[in-house]
Amino acid sequence: MSLASYDKRARNKAERIRRLRRLAKGKFVASKNVSEVLKRIIEPGDILCLEGDNQKQADFLANELAGLSRADLHDIHLVMSCITLPAHLELFKKGIVSQVDFCYAGPQGQAVAQLLEAGKFPLGAIHTYNELYARYYVDLTPRVALIAATQADRQGNLYLAANTEETPAIVEPTAFSNGIVFAQVNEIVDSLPRIDIPADQVDLVVEAPYPMHLTALFTRDPAAITDVQILMAMMALRGIYQKYEVQSLNHGVGFNTAAIELLLPTYGEELGLKGKICKYWMVNPLPTMIPAIESGWVEAVFSVGGEVGMERYTAARSDIFFTGRDGSFHSNRAMGQLAGHYGVDMFIGATLQIDVNGNSSTVSKKRITGFGGAPNMGCQPTGRRHPTKAWLQAGAESNPGPGSIPGRKLVVQLAETFQSGRVPTFVEELDAQDPSIKKALKGVAPVMIYGDDVTHVVTEEGIANLAACRSIEERRAAIRGVAGYTPVGLKRSKRETQALRARGIIQLPEDIGVSPAQVSRSLLAAQDIKGLVRWSGGLYDPPAQFVDW
Amino acid sequence: MEKFDKSLSSRPFAWPKRTPWSLAGVVGSGNLEVLLEPNPKSPGKLECRVESSIPGYKDSWIAALDDFASNYPAGGIKATIHDQGADPIVVTFRLRQAYGELLKKSS
Repeated sequence: MSLASYDKRARNKAERIRRLRRLAKGKFVASKNVSEVLKRIIEPGDILCLEGDNQKQADFLANELAGLSRADLHDIHLVMSCITLPAHLELFKKGIVSQVDFCYAGPQGQAVAQLLEAGKFPLGAIHTYNELYARYYVDLTPRVALIAATQADRQGNLYLAANTEETPAIVEPTAFSNGIVFAQVNEIVDSLPRIDIPADQVDLVVEAPYPMHLTALFTRDPAAITDVQILMAMMALRGIYQKYEVQSLNHGVGFNTAAIELLLPTYGEELGLKGKICKYWMVNPLPTMIPAIESGWVEAVFSVGGEVGMERYTAARSDIFFTGRDGSFHSNRAMGQLAGHYGVDMFIGATLQIDVNGNSSTVSKKRITGFGGAPNMGCQPTGRRHPTKAWLQAGAESNPGPGSIPGRKLVVQLAETFQSGRVPTFVEELDAQDPSIKKALKGVAPVMIYGDDVTHVVTEEGIANLAACRSIEERRAAIRGVAGYTPVGLKRSKRETQALRARGIIQLPEDIGVSPAQVSRSLLAAQDIKGLVRWSGGLYDPPAQFVDW
Repeated sequence: MEKFDKSLSSRPFAWPKRTPWSLAGVVGSGNLEVLLEPNPKSPGKLECRVESSIPGYKDSWIAALDDFASNYPAGGIKATIHDQGADPIVVTFRLRQAYGELLKKSS
């Protein structure tokens, strides 16, 4: 009779580390030995986590991994936020991966769709960020995690600088389940500015031959903001921000919301809204936030990630941004998503496609992009209990029954009725409903934000208050009413639209005191990137691709 | 090239004593201009003249102009539109801009 053992993972981890022999000096691995180290610490059947989101990538480790062959490595269950690098695709082409669970494949959406069609993309499921992190603690706990940090010290403590992002959400479940945490770092130093990940959660460290990949994802040049976006921003400010007195919010990352940020110190000030709205933010350090911050609008900003070029500015504004003891910027993707879910009164963002029921998606027939984080913010947090004025007012409008939550988060979709090239934004049915896509995703259409969660749709034609609609037919009529001259809009009945307007469910710019004749780019607090640099007092260092002077 | 005229019923615009005109937008690639002028002959009609470089969108034009005529008192106005392939999202916007300008000049 043998006793069952319950420490197999710990013993197996020790065995893997033993296999390294002289390839590691303590925790430290030379970059030339990395591929051999990966072969020895990863076993078939492992859940392997490769750090990589839409901004920060453990790209050196990813490249070394992609250099291995199927003989070296196979039957890997890959878990990762974002499939974005050529190296990630290589793992599928080589047939190393037996299952993949991920969140987002934005720039590689087309390649992923092709791999899927070729049967080379063994998809588990597509998640939102916090949904995937949650599963790291449940049924997708990584056996090995390959992560990226800015610096390590000689003990293996890690400094993550501005881009903490998802590193803690990966390290904790791995380190506390006898998994192996392997970090690539830009450099090894004697002493760190601050410790973000303690050494005893780190097993292996390599100084990478090149710095980790970082993308400036949230930089929007004010010069590219259009008149129509300014009109929509003015409508949103009056029809939603002012009406509900929105104090805490999350902004998407498009030009529409950048226009709103740049109108606060001008149009917002003129409306007397300073101090009444937009005080607490869950957003990345968006350069277009600089004028509002410098004008005293903003109390606090918490971020899921950093933004290239905003390091000196955020460090110099530590009352606003979360900063470490060393004075530099701190972000955290999992906590930021949590803040955006429970802590804020409004999510507002743009979308590429929205159907007549209010469902939206960024998936097209040839691209599988996935979700990322927007659904964690653009949804009703049914676990919320704390009241605010905006939450209660939106809740009262949606006429809760005796068994429903009294408040409602404002979930606002900004959508110009047409995308460029005369492609209608409003459609009867989303491309995401395409049978081939649904089949690949096990029957679930990849909807980014569900119509039931949306409270308002803002287009250049007007605002539709979906929360105030009393039936699905009414909601469809409200959406058609602001869908302009798209096929969806052309199907509206004039009588129905006018009745909804009379009830305030559809509002035209004039109904909320916005005059289109007032629209002008001169209302933007900054006209271009250079203007943002000036507002920052020279503290913002825009990436080279945005500098034209 | 597509050219057409359309007359749409609309509540009369409240003209001041001197009758102003207004212009919004420019004739340039991807844009359009809207000229609004007094047309005292038909006070209950919005008279429209559309010249567009892109044919095939007459139904959309008429739907947009018809909505405009019912949403705003625009009777007694003549609207001339020169379109150079403007984004559809600009159409109502420019009409509203020109109309807002006309209101300002009339107050």
